[in-house]
Formats: sequence, C-alpha cells, structure tokens
Amino acid sequence: MPRFVVTLVVAALTVVLGGELATVGGQATSGEYRIGVLEPITGPLAFEGKRHMEGLEIVRDLINERGGVMGKKLVFSVADATDPTVAASEANRLITREGVKIITGTFSSRLCGAASEVAARHDVIYWESSCVDPRFNKRGLKHVYRTEIDATGFGWYNIEFIAKHLAPRLNLKPNQIKIAFLSEDSSYGQGVTESARQRAKAEFGMQEVMLEYYNWQTLNDMTPTILKMKQLNPDVVHHISFSNDGVLFWRQSKEQNFLFKALVHAGATGYGGSDFGKALGNDANGVFALLEPGPGFRLEALRPEGQQIEKAFRDAVQKKTGTYPFGAHQLAGSGLWLLKLVLDRAQSDDPEKFRAAVMSLDLPVGSMINGWGVKFSELGQNANDRVQHYMLQWQNGQLVTVWPEEFTTLRAKWIPLGAWDQRK
Amino acid sequence: MDPARRLGPAQIDVLAQLAVATVLLGGIYALISVGLTLIFGIMRVVNFAHGEFLMLGMYLAFWAFVVFTADPYFVVFVAIPLFFVVGLVVYGLVMRGVIHASHNVQIFTTVGLSTVLQNVALVAWSGDFRFVRPWHLSTVLRAGSTIFNLTQVVASLIAVALTLALVAFMKWTHAGRVMRATAQDREAATLMGIDTDRVYRLTFAIGIAAVGAAGVLVAPLYSVYPTAGLQFVLLSYVVVVLGGLGDMLGAMIGSLIVAAVEVAGSYFFGVAWKEIFYFILFILVLVFRPAGLFGQRGAETLGV
Repeated sequence: MPRFVVTLVVAALTVVLGGELATVGGQATSGEYRIGVLEPITGPLAFEGKRHMEGLEIVRDLINERGGVMGKKLVFSVADATDPTVAASEANRLITREGVKIITGTFSSRLCGAASEVAARHDVIYWESSCVDPRFNKRGLKHVYRTEIDATGFGWYNIEFIAKHLAPRLNLKPNQIKIAFLSEDSSYGQGVTESARQRAKAEFGMQEVMLEYYNWQTLNDMTPTILKMKQLNPDVVHHISFSNDGVLFWRQSKEQNFLFKALVHAGATGYGGSDFGKALGNDANGVFALLEPGPGFRLEALRPEGQQIEKAFRDAVQKKTGTYPFGAHQLAGSGLWLLKLVLDRAQSDDPEKFRAAVMSLDLPVGSMINGWGVKFSELGQNANDRVQHYMLQWQNGQLVTVWPEEFTTLRAKWIPLGAWDQRK
Repeated sequence: MDPARRLGPAQIDVLAQLAVATVLLGGIYALISVGLTLIFGIMRVVNFAHGEFLMLGMYLAFWAFVVFTADPYFVVFVAIPLFFVVGLVVYGLVMRGVIHASHNVQIFTTVGLSTVLQNVALVAWSGDFRFVRPWHLSTVLRAGSTIFNLTQVVASLIAVALTLALVAFMKWTHAGRVMRATAQDREAATLMGIDTDRVYRLTFAIGIAAVGAAGVLVAPLYSVYPTAGLQFVLLSYVVVVLGGLGDMLGAMIGSLIVAAVEVAGSYFFGVAWKEIFYFILFILVLVFRPAGLFGQRGAETLGV
C-alpha cells in the first residue's frame, strides 16, 4: 500500500512539474513573447486599474499591428493585484509559474513597491508606467524602471508653470509672487508640495506665505484655513487635493469671497479628476491641474513618429471607449510603447542587455504617445524634462490643455482670476 | 507674520466668522450624533455602524436627486419613515440577537455590520465620489461682513429641533418614560411589565431614522462614497462621550465644543492639529470625568 502511495505522489508530481516546465519552455518557441501584467482589476483601486488595463490592451494591439516586439507577437499574463500583499504574491506567481522575464504595472503607489521588490529578488525586469511615489527608484534596485515622472517631477512642472507662464501675465517677477502651499498629507501630496516649495524658493525666490497639510478624510470645514489665507493674501494657491477637499476648498472660498490670482494643482486626484467638474459645473472655471495632454493638444507639435503613434493611439481609444484618452490610458499606453522601443533595441530580455538599451535611448520631447521623450537616469527614472507634462484648466465643464502653448490650440483664461461671479 | 496675532477691526470680523463657523459646524456634528446618543443612552450599545447609516442616507439623497431631481429638503421627509423601517429590520435581523450579549460581542457585531454595509455600497454603487447639487447649495446669507451657508444653517436648525423633540419625547410621553426606565434598570423594567425588546427595537429605529435624515441633509455639503461615514463616525463618539454618554442636550453642547476646538485649532495652529486637540480633550474627559462633561456620575456603567 505505501508503495502505491509513493508511486501516486511521484506520478502526480511528474504531471504537475512537467506541465509547468512545458509552459515555461513554451514561450521561446511559439512566436509569442509573454510579459506579466499586474494591475488592480478588482477591489478599491479597480476603477483606475481597469482603465490602465484598457490602455495596455489598446497599445498591445497597436504594437502587434506594427510587428510585435523583437519580431514576436506580444501577449499578456494578467494578474489581479488588489493590495500590496496580493501584488507581491501575484508577481511571484507570474515569475515562477508563468516564467515571465518582464513585469509591467501596477499604477498605484500602494502596489508598485511590493511588486517591484519581488521582481528584483528574481532578477526580473520591472517596468512601472505610473506610481508616483518618489521612493520607488531610490532603493538601489538595478532592474526597476519607471517611465512616468514621480511626485517631485509634478512639483517641478508646477513651479515652472507659475514662474514662466503665470508670473509675466500677472505682471510680477517670480520673486514677487506670494505663494501659499496647501496639501493633503499622503506621500503623493507631500512629495509634490515639498519639491515645489524647494524649487520655488531656491530657483525663483518666491515668497512662501503659508504651508498646511491636512488629512482629507477627516476634513469637514475649510473656513478657518480660508480665513487665515485671506489675511495672508497669496497671489497663487498651490493646492494638492485628493477628492472632496478640493470641492470644499473651492466652494467655501467662493462663499467667503476669498480672491487670489490662480490655483495650481497636479495629478488626476481632486481638481484633476472629472468629479471636480461634476460637483461644481461652471463654478470650477479657472483651476489649473498638471496632467497628461487633454483636448486642445496639437498633434502637429510632435515629431513625425510621435504624431503617428499618438494619432493611432487616440483613434484606438476613441474606438474602444468612445472618449478622449483618460490619464490612465495615456500612462499605461505610453509606458508599454516605450517598453517596445527598448525591447526592439535590446533584442533580448536579458536584464543587462535590457538595461544597456534603456540607458542608450535618447529621444527628444515629441517622440511618442503624450508627446513624451526618453532619457533614463542611472536610477531607472525617465527625466522630468523629457516626460513632457501639460497644464490643463477647467473651462466651462471641461479640462483643456493650455500649456506649454506650442502644444495646444487653446489658451489659459482668467489670469488673474477675477471676481467669483465673473469667470464665464 | 502670524495673522492671528494682530487685533483690529479686520481681526474682529474674522473672529465673528470663526464663531459662526463653529456654530454651523457644531450643528452638523450634533445632527449626525443625535441618533448615536439615543441608541447609546437607552440601549448601551456602541453602534459602530452609525457612520454607514449616515452614508446610506447620503446615497438616498444622491439617487433621489439624480433619478427624480428631488430636493434633499423634500427627500428628508421620505428618509425618516424609510430609515425607521430600516432600523426595525436591522434590529430584528442583527441587533436582537446580541442585545443581551457582552459589549465585546456587540462591538464585533456592529463593526461587522459596518464593513458589510460599506462593501454593499461599494458593490452596488462603485467607489466613485458622487455629488448632490441642489440650486441652494452655495446660497449664502450675510449679516454685516459675516457669512452663513444656508445648507449648514438649515442642518443646524434641524439638529436643534430634533434634539429638543427627542428630549420632549423622552420626558413627557409614555413611550419615552418606558425607554428611560429601561435604560436605568433593564431588569426592574422587565419586572414592571415593560417589554424591553420592544423598547430597544423602537429606540434603534428612531436612532437610525435620525441618522438617515442627517445623511440626506449633509449630502449636498460633502461627497457621497461608500466610506463617507468614516469621516464623521469617530467624531460622533467624541461628541457622545463629551456630552455625557446618552445625554441629548449634553451631546448638543459636546458638538459645539468639538467644533470650537476644530475651528480654533485649524485657524491658530493649522488643520493638522485639530484632531490632536479634540482627542486630547476626549481622553482628558474620559480620565477625569468618565461620565462625560454633563453626565451624572455612574452613567457610564448604567445598564451594563
């Protein structure tokens, strides 16, 4: 009887392991190239995660229509990363069971750290297309890359916009601008705010009149903060908001008739999300949010190869979803397209050859989707000034592209913001 | 230069506006806490799902607004009977089984209920932030240079009315007397022929009706999403404790104290400080006056 059990176990193991080896071996011979995709498809992050997934699928199809990667058809092994623990275990599964050599994902700052740790442990390439946590590629992990800029990059762009676009239109020198910093207290909010503060002071000598962090989840009234700001009389309010806090600040500022010259935000949260427009309608007019390009974006401003892929991408998103691409589509899509460029150059998924290809890529702004360019640092981070970002403004219920002006047909309005009832 | 340190006419205007902000914010907190105070006062159950019933009230306001373009001030009249029934059903299905159990069991049960309701909302209506925008949303009233948000004024007035109505109900009606008797001594009340189960059912239903109505009324001021209740629930516990663990008028004053601490803390020190201040107050009260600022000695152990 025991011998029968042993035989059974051996037989079972053979079937299981044999099956696994077959999957791993299958990759090289089938004319397909398989990468792992980790996105939160269910759970609290699913709303954005699904859009990222949509962006990835759209660009995967564009890539396959254009010869795939390294001459093979690009296919995905998709795993659902609902939270950091699952992200880590699913990354592990993709590597050990599916045998992938490259993982891309996860969009969220909550997930990218855990997932990339696992990839690094297995010497697998980790290719992040969003995740704005500044700590992400400061952990000494050699094969971890990020195509999007991080939170500090957003702060860099915001100050660029305030100093070079707003200041002259307000008839102020950058060092005459009084700026108030207000932000929700997540690592994102702090990352953007701290880098903006630093650049505002060190490079332009702007006058910081206030700095406040708050927890958006327990914020029920902004009147005291607004009353304080009214007395400090800032020209520009730099406010990183998460959700309701943006609506609350804007609505209560109107109630208290708090007049300032401009409000600048960064990212797809708060003022940068469609909810803000839904909540306030035309009252939202005038707010600036740093994002990926939106309506008004000029294709002709890109280089020929950039125009081509941007147009194909926009049409594909339009066809599939019926809308202009959302930020999630744009980040995931441009990340995957950039991965193709690297793989075509490296012709290998060997981590060292791949890294050499990443480091040698040097494309100017306007070369690909979103008008981005490419130049990676040794840390595996794409450069701020290549990952072109755009200032969008709420104009009559829509976020439209207004800066840099060479990239858009539309212009910023309400500089300075006039009386509350005259922003039409 | 700290604006708080200068004193002139402008400063006095600001102080007046801060006082108004305190009263209006306190009104919202009182409105939200009334139901919790009642349930805690009579049943001695800490209802951790309180915030989720608030959230359901907010969703009711949202859907009524989207589907029927119904104004929250109209919907509130529908919400009161509707949430009364919800309270009866939840009591029958969940609370009845644990009402005689230990506090631990009750806490686990209501925390469980809270998580279930949050996730039901997440599944049914997704995690999106929703907004209710009636025409009167941004209407402000002015008195001199002081500004009042109409929605907040209405919420505060209703909070006062609701509190007074419940105090009168408890004091002068037969049902109210029976409820108080049950709260004071459950066993003695049973011996006097009071059906305590019915009393608890009624109390729970009234408490849920109050918080449901509160949800409808505050929906225009805040965004509506599955965990919206968490924004207020911790705060309501502070209010209930300050007010004397079940004392209705005490809770009203407790709300004003919390609001005053929050507004003054945010203005003079920064928003990040407000919770530090009111939780320090919360701990101090629990240490030095365990029955709450306005409660009678021993109230904290009543009915345990």
